[in-house]
Amino acid sequence: MFYRKMITLVPLFAMLIGSMAMGHTIANKGQRADLVLMPKFLGILVFDQANKGAKEAHSELKNPGKLLFLGPTPENSVAGQIEILTTATTQGQDGIMISNNAGDQIVPAARKARAKGMTVVTWDSPIPSSDGEQLFIAQVDFNETGTVMADMALRIIGPSGGEFAVLSASPDASNQNAWNAAMKEALKAPKYSKIKLVDLVFGDDQSEKSYNQALALLDKHPNLKLIMAPTTVGIAAAAKAMQDEGLCDKVKVSGLGLPAEMVSYTMNGCAPEFALWSFVDLGYLSYYATYLLATKQIEGIAGETFKAGRLGYYTIEKDPTRDKGLRVMMGPFTVYNKDNVEASAK
Amino acid sequence: MSIILNKLKSWEGFLSLILISVILVNSLNSESFLSIDNQINLFELSVEKIIVALIMVFIILNAEIDLSVASMMGLSACALGWLVDSGTPMILALGLCLLIGAMGGAFNGYWITVFKLPSLVVTLAMLIGFRGLARVLVEDRSIRVFPSWFEALGQQPILGPIPLSIIIFLGLLILAVIILKFTGFGRYVYFIGINQNVALYSGINVSRVKMILFTASGIISALAGILFAARLGAVRGDMGLSFELDIITMVLLGGVSIFGGSGSINGVILSILIVLYLRNGMSLSNITGHIQTGVIGGLLILSVLIPNLQKMIHDFLNQRRKQLQ
Repeated sequence: MFYRKMITLVPLFAMLIGSMAMGHTIANKGQRADLVLMPKFLGILVFDQANKGAKEAHSELKNPGKLLFLGPTPENSVAGQIEILTTATTQGQDGIMISNNAGDQIVPAARKARAKGMTVVTWDSPIPSSDGEQLFIAQVDFNETGTVMADMALRIIGPSGGEFAVLSASPDASNQNAWNAAMKEALKAPKYSKIKLVDLVFGDDQSEKSYNQALALLDKHPNLKLIMAPTTVGIAAAAKAMQDEGLCDKVKVSGLGLPAEMVSYTMNGCAPEFALWSFVDLGYLSYYATYLLATKQIEGIAGETFKAGRLGYYTIEKDPTRDKGLRVMMGPFTVYNKDNVEASAK
Repeated sequence: MSIILNKLKSWEGFLSLILISVILVNSLNSESFLSIDNQINLFELSVEKIIVALIMVFIILNAEIDLSVASMMGLSACALGWLVDSGTPMILALGLCLLIGAMGGAFNGYWITVFKLPSLVVTLAMLIGFRGLARVLVEDRSIRVFPSWFEALGQQPILGPIPLSIIIFLGLLILAVIILKFTGFGRYVYFIGINQNVALYSGINVSRVKMILFTASGIISALAGILFAARLGAVRGDMGLSFELDIITMVLLGGVSIFGGSGSINGVILSILIVLYLRNGMSLSNITGHIQTGVIGGLLILSVLIPNLQKMIHDFLNQRRKQLQ
């Protein structure tokens, strides 16, 4: 009996020692840190969702300090972000989370904030030179997008196979191109052998053009079973086109979309599933990382691991997309379907 | 004349009243408002705009407008980035940028004085033109190539806690006051604004005055663009986008008539202080975004409304008095 107990305890001890050695930090709650969450600009749904996640983490960590959600107007985004960061430094805030829209122009203000001892973390969009920033919370690995889209196509088209087409944003969008290339690469695997990519068209992220392009695809490819749109504008426009034409039983729509915009199409079967990273989780994770940095529970160096509440463990790593700079990769995608889309749309 | 003077006095009095209340509310709301750091910061964050506002006073007094100032700021900043990026020595690049400013301003002046085109149209075209050129130069990149001494000039204090850009602003402010109040050129500026034809027939070289003003506007906008680039340390095609609206707002709120001929630099200083303090106070109270824009917009509407209301009441009373007599 004693022996068996020992056996169960050994891995527990090993884990404990292991985690101490590797510096697995579990947040010490209730410490004070006044934090600011700054989106690119106000009035965008995904940023409000990130704020929701940050608020959730704020109350979970019982931070007696304040969490502010401050952003500029779209017309004044760059100057406004710099102004908010400078004012936050003057106010003596303990940390700020920036979805950077000012490129490297925010660097001097970020450096001044750092010099005053403020924690500077970026999320969603980093400081290109990583100068003045301690950590970037990245949403997903762009390569993963290809596999996610291929898997959704396979599930929707079914094992018997069929044709599908991609409705992308514009030929110049580097992220779109990377995602489409990654999907083509993923499709080479034998399990996708029966689904066939027959066309790639561009809707320029304009609703009307995307709508027309979706209809044009049907004329060109009468056997089309699915339109895959890796853009939130394209997917909504394509779904509306199929719904308006009463074709949802024949041609399905999928891709990257916002739950709030897609909920009705998912519930009526036009777009049975689609994917996006969760901005709620991105805000939640950013808050955890910033809280831990601002309360000096982690230092923000490569190799450090910390626990971000319900999301589990994350490790700080070198950012392969920038020369200097550290990142925490959130991942993975959330795939939305009938079961979870309504809850996320709120 | 004495009526105009009285009106001006009362307008400035009104602005002083607003300013004092803004300062009072701000200092009660936040202990950091009066700190030297914050005072320097709030000027530094808008220093390029208030530098350009100084020359805008002259242009609007002259019954003209220059909408291309912010685009010129962007163009000179982007040209600086592009020149340095392609290997031009820093000092030469700075000189070339000021030259671009002078040429751009003179180009505006040429169409306005020689072809008698409305400045609204000419400078609107250049608002688009200069901005387009800036975007062509740097495309969608963010260029960060400046030597550290240049960035330090834009970001570090050089006299006590005061950075170079604020010293330049103060210097230009003194110069503007002297020119406007104590020189013949300053009087021409007012005179042309009141009645261009009378000025012309009085033997004033109207075209020359306007040419000088628009060229100066180009040079000062280019200088502001350079200071902007130094402060941010990097340039992008959208630098200073729509700053012209903030600049014109400050000048009009300061009591300079959009029809020219009346207004003073004192009023504009008061309005600059009101706009900057109001914005800073709202930021310190964590009011950002559209509410901030809305409050400042409301202030501008008031600035147009109140003098008109005053005039209406004045006229109404005069009429009553006449009827009674």
